Amino acid sequence: MSFADRRFPVPVRGDMATALRRSWADIGRPGAWWTGPERVAIAALARAERIQRNEPPWNRDRGEPCTPLPEKAVEAARKIGADPAHLDREWANGVIAEIGDSHYVELASVVVTTAAADAFCEAMGIDHEPLPEAEAGEPARERPDGMGDIGAWVPVQVIDWKRANVARALSLVPEGVRTFFRIVAAMYSGTATDFEKMVWDHRPLSRPQVELLAARVSALNQCFY
Amino acid sequence: MLLRASSDAVGAEVDLSAAVEDAADGGVENGAILTAFAEAVVRATDDLDAARTRALETLGPEKFVEAAATVGIFNGLVRVADSTGIPSDAQMLERTADVRGPLGFNRWGGAKSSGVAEAPA
Repeated sequence: MSFADRRFPVPVRGDMATALRRSWADIGRPGAWWTGPERVAIAALARAERIQRNEPPWNRDRGEPCTPLPEKAVEAARKIGADPAHLDREWANGVIAEIGDSHYVELASVVVTTAAADAFCEAMGIDHEPLPEAEAGEPARERPDGMGDIGAWVPVQVIDWKRANVARALSLVPEGVRTFFRIVAAMYSGTATDFEKMVWDHRPLSRPQVELLAARVSALNQCFY
Repeated sequence: MLLRASSDAVGAEVDLSAAVEDAADGGVENGAILTAFAEAVVRATDDLDAARTRALETLGPEKFVEAAATVGIFNGLVRVADSTGIPSDAQMLERTADVRGPLGFNRWGGAKSSGVAEAPA
């Protein structure tokens, strides 16, 4: 079992550990556009690059490429994993032109889930969770309806949307939304009702404490959003 | 930004510069412990073990786990925003108009996606 309770130096809430386990297992499963082995390869590339984030890109040890992924997907997994402050529309357009917007968004969903889980392990002082076993099977290849342009680099859900934009950023791949935002709910926001409250009683930390951490991490990553 | 809104909700005055300064407490309880912990994780610095120990000893195990979880998940959330170029929400742009420039946020690459980019310093 991934994220086993015995690995944590102090107890972790059951719902948080469960969410991590479920989302970790998702990485190994066939997605909407990538196979299980491809998704695990994306996670591995992002992790390997992020570990070396303090080195400039040209100085990172990447070894021999041994991956089923196209070159642009390899580049995207590495860059989103380790250099998120240096992404721009022109770069994303170049990747999307090669691999497609749905593939790009699903790749991003795997990278962000891996980065969050890895950073949590680093914060807790434990080794990164071993990557999940890749499962056999074909991607579903289903594109959702209701996508549109709100000025993002990728299409997003536009019908009756009333929540924060970041929550629809990955909506071109609903499976990716489920995988990542499951752990967002468990590790940060709680339910939609919890999130709307400015005074939190569902978390041991006060909301200002949580938001100070959020603001500092965002600033360290030079994330405008 | 939700740091200011949530502080306002409890009648506390927050110093938003804590978002961009090292080990600043921002007027938040145990703020300097929390920001130092976040900095050590994100930067993978040599003092991570010490920052973690300080956080655990000061906060206790329950709050420490929440702090670790928040640091972890925001390392994912920033990548969601920055890999998709998702624009900031209009309400958030309005609420932060007075602080984004002084704190330097408008000079970050992602500001272009929200139409408020300033030239890098």
